[in-house]
Amino acid sequence: MKTVKQIPPKLARRFLLWFLRDDLAEEVLGDLEEKFLVVLNEKSLFKARLHYWYQTINYLRPFATRHLKSNSNYFTMYQHNFKLTYRNFLKYKSTFLINLIGLSTGLACALLIYLWVADEVAVDKFHQKNARLYQVIENQGLSGNTRSTRSTPWLLAEALAEEMPEVAYAAVATPPFWHEKSTLKVKDKSVKAGKQYVGRDYFNIFSYNLIHGDKHRVLNDKNSIVISEDLAVKLFGTVDNILGETIEYQQEAEYVVSGIFENIPASSSIQFDFVLSVELLKDSQPQAFLWKNSGPYTYLVLKEGTDPIAFNEKIAGFIKTKTEDTHRSLLLTKYAENYLRGNFQNGKRVGGRIEYVRLFSIIAIFILIIACINFMNLSTARASRRMKEVGVKKAMGVPRKALVIQYLTESIVLAFLALLLAIAVVSMFLPEFNLIMGKQLVLRPNAELAVAAITITLFTGILAGSYPALYLSGFKPVTILKGKLQNSVGELWARGGLVVFQFTLSVIFIVCVLVVYKQIAFIQTKNIGYNKDNVIHFEIEGKIKENLDTFLTELERIPGVVSASAAAQSMVGGGNTANISWEGKDPDTKIPFAFRPANYGLIELLDLKVTEGRAFSRNYSDSLAVIFNESGIKTMGLKDPIGSVIQLGSFQCKIVGVVKDFHYESLRTPIRPMFFILSPPQFLEKVVARIEAGKVGPTLERMEQFYRKYNPGFVFDFKFLDQDYQNQYRAEQRISVLSRYFAVIAILISCLGLFGLAAFTAERRSKEIGIRKILGAGSLKIIMSLSTDFTKMVLVAITISLPISYFITRSWLSNFAFGIDLEWWFFLGAGLLALLITWLTVGIQTVKAANANPVECLKDE
Amino acid sequence: MKETRLGEFEEVILLLVGILGEEAYAFKIAEEFESQTKRAVSIGAVHSTLNRLGDKGFLTSEMGKSTPERGGRRKRIYTITASGQRVLQIARDFKLSLWDQFPAFSTGKLSFGK
Repeated sequence: MKTVKQIPPKLARRFLLWFLRDDLAEEVLGDLEEKFLVVLNEKSLFKARLHYWYQTINYLRPFATRHLKSNSNYFTMYQHNFKLTYRNFLKYKSTFLINLIGLSTGLACALLIYLWVADEVAVDKFHQKNARLYQVIENQGLSGNTRSTRSTPWLLAEALAEEMPEVAYAAVATPPFWHEKSTLKVKDKSVKAGKQYVGRDYFNIFSYNLIHGDKHRVLNDKNSIVISEDLAVKLFGTVDNILGETIEYQQEAEYVVSGIFENIPASSSIQFDFVLSVELLKDSQPQAFLWKNSGPYTYLVLKEGTDPIAFNEKIAGFIKTKTEDTHRSLLLTKYAENYLRGNFQNGKRVGGRIEYVRLFSIIAIFILIIACINFMNLSTARASRRMKEVGVKKAMGVPRKALVIQYLTESIVLAFLALLLAIAVVSMFLPEFNLIMGKQLVLRPNAELAVAAITITLFTGILAGSYPALYLSGFKPVTILKGKLQNSVGELWARGGLVVFQFTLSVIFIVCVLVVYKQIAFIQTKNIGYNKDNVIHFEIEGKIKENLDTFLTELERIPGVVSASAAAQSMVGGGNTANISWEGKDPDTKIPFAFRPANYGLIELLDLKVTEGRAFSRNYSDSLAVIFNESGIKTMGLKDPIGSVIQLGSFQCKIVGVVKDFHYESLRTPIRPMFFILSPPQFLEKVVARIEAGKVGPTLERMEQFYRKYNPGFVFDFKFLDQDYQNQYRAEQRISVLSRYFAVIAILISCLGLFGLAAFTAERRSKEIGIRKILGAGSLKIIMSLSTDFTKMVLVAITISLPISYFITRSWLSNFAFGIDLEWWFFLGAGLLALLITWLTVGIQTVKAANANPVECLKDE
Repeated sequence: MKETRLGEFEEVILLLVGILGEEAYAFKIAEEFESQTKRAVSIGAVHSTLNRLGDKGFLTSEMGKSTPERGGRRKRIYTITASGQRVLQIARDFKLSLWDQFPAFSTGKLSFGK
């Protein structure tokens, strides 16, 4: 039998010998070993070893440790550096405070943005099979360009899994945003929850871990339902022993719980509360499951060792083998990349959210640089104060390297002090920031964050300290000790250049804020061609589904409800079809038309302007009638549209009217051809109602009462149309708010630096000012002479920044098909603002200097 | 001037040095402390205190014999100096004088079995 050696832990002994004074080593080691043996006899070996460590650590006391100080030059030097740093901070309090505030604000911005970026980058990367997880998207070669869509044929996933040996798992899934929340009921508890219809292997592809249930089999039965931990608790009060229980769904079906998954992490781009089998849709909408129809998303996991590029080529023409559609091809994309780089143009990735990630990272870096510049400028400007110190040190033979290290120590210590303050600031503003960004970021100490924070801080410290360190250490000792230090032209240039750089960035920020603000205001106030105010919509479900017309008539009877109709979607968003033809159409053109299934009265409800013909009417046999927008008519080139018949798939549809173009999509895109089609109730999903302006609150209450009576068991869960409209611009609104904050911060930090610089200049020139005053110069004259330099610098900054900001804002506005024009006064205004701020900042100092009694500054010496 | 007052813990350690005599070295003192007071203490803490008492001049020390259970290492034996004796005496007298002034005690209401 192998015996474990009963000796004290070696590592502990080595550690002890490392820090323990040599003369104590023998007695201490002896004592600890005796103690070790005692514990060993009484308790276990493990306890004894643990106790040895405890005793070792308890020897970390001043009397017992080696004194590094005594025989190490390095230690002495660093101690000296720290001491000097501390004394300099104390001596120049205002400079220290300006630097501290500037750097900590800059660091706080950088930390906040780091938290956000780290969170964005981590999205969707937590799946275990991430490396082999792909999403298949469809490229549609239409006239002119290629449209890429994540909608793929319903049958694709199954076919790929069957026919392609490289595929380990494949599953179809309907994106959760397709579905309104649906009502689940267990006994007397009903809950509204979001869903997804998915293929059988869904849980084999994604790592939404199952607490109960077998991920290979949970969706084998089409009447299965897999619910989240949270939903289980809401419905059953527990997550245990509920497999096999039934849940009533929308009062129309019952499903059996076959699994429970852990709550979906915030870092997943897909969020849902439960999943149902896609087989259910196969039963209810068999017409969808044809190769010509695209809709849901297709995900797959490739087998290990499969070359994705080769596989991509292999599946590109897959649809063509199933249908006659020659314009549709497939593209294999990395699933995790689709979150940040989700935009496709001409069938290739072109970016997406990553642009915002980049934009904010750049902003953070710039703000840090602005803060660093303050430090550089103030330290070099004050160099004259430290000349003697440098001179004496150099004369004593201190090498330049040591001086550089000393000044770097100073800036790095300052940066770390700033970091502490920044952490406090971040934890204070994090809730606000989360609100703006729609995130749930937390400031949790972990290794990654610590490494990032320390790296950023070190970088800041070194960046801020490098120029002063090299500059100060480069003096010639003889010149300094003689008392002459000529400010070289280069140095003045460098300092001026840094200020110019700061203000260039600030002015660019101001212009950007103005333009973003104006564009957002434009979006809010632009007449988009229909009236989106006071319109609500909610889902057609339960009893409403049985008889839509009755429900709408009764709804309209409620006082305060102006009119009610139905549609397939909210006005914002909807489907497209290229499967449309008309008389005289070139058979090769494929132009996508947006289509909106509608009920009677929708056109009137939305206040759309009918330019030709009429709206849908019950007075005619209008079944499958269509109404185009003007762009649609123009695209088709119909001379006399009213009464013409178009072919839509296999249906013949008569054009009964034309509406004026309106913005049914966001202002980013130009108005494309579209049409409304009068559809039977089974294709409509939403009730749309207009409420009398000014009576929204009470009317909604009445509607809810009515709804509860009419449709028991369902919740009156409505949304406002104008809210949907606003949501399209959430990214822009975030940018608007954030850019305002950042601009203010950038300007504040720049001004702080300028303030410090102005104070210093005024102080250094106090004798000059005194003499000038005695010789009869007026205050105004002195103020002018003091602020000319700063005015010049800022003017240069404005000149540089205006063209740059012009290009930046123009490229941002080019995202919008409908954007504001860049007016000359945006730029002039921003420039004037910067100049005004400069004068204010500098003015406080110069006025003080100019009004000082000349005797005060001339009497000493 | 060097601090020469005696803390409570110092006083106990100093007494233990006296009690243990020839066996007064850090490990033994710590063991004795633990068994007498039922309070845990690390050898480091005791050593630190012994060191401080030495600085104050209450103790002297010299390296003693080695024993096999210490891996053949020698131990440092502490002995009380004359000023150590004196400071203990002063501490005891001071406490006794306090006890004498303690009313419950002087009126004889409490019995300490003296």
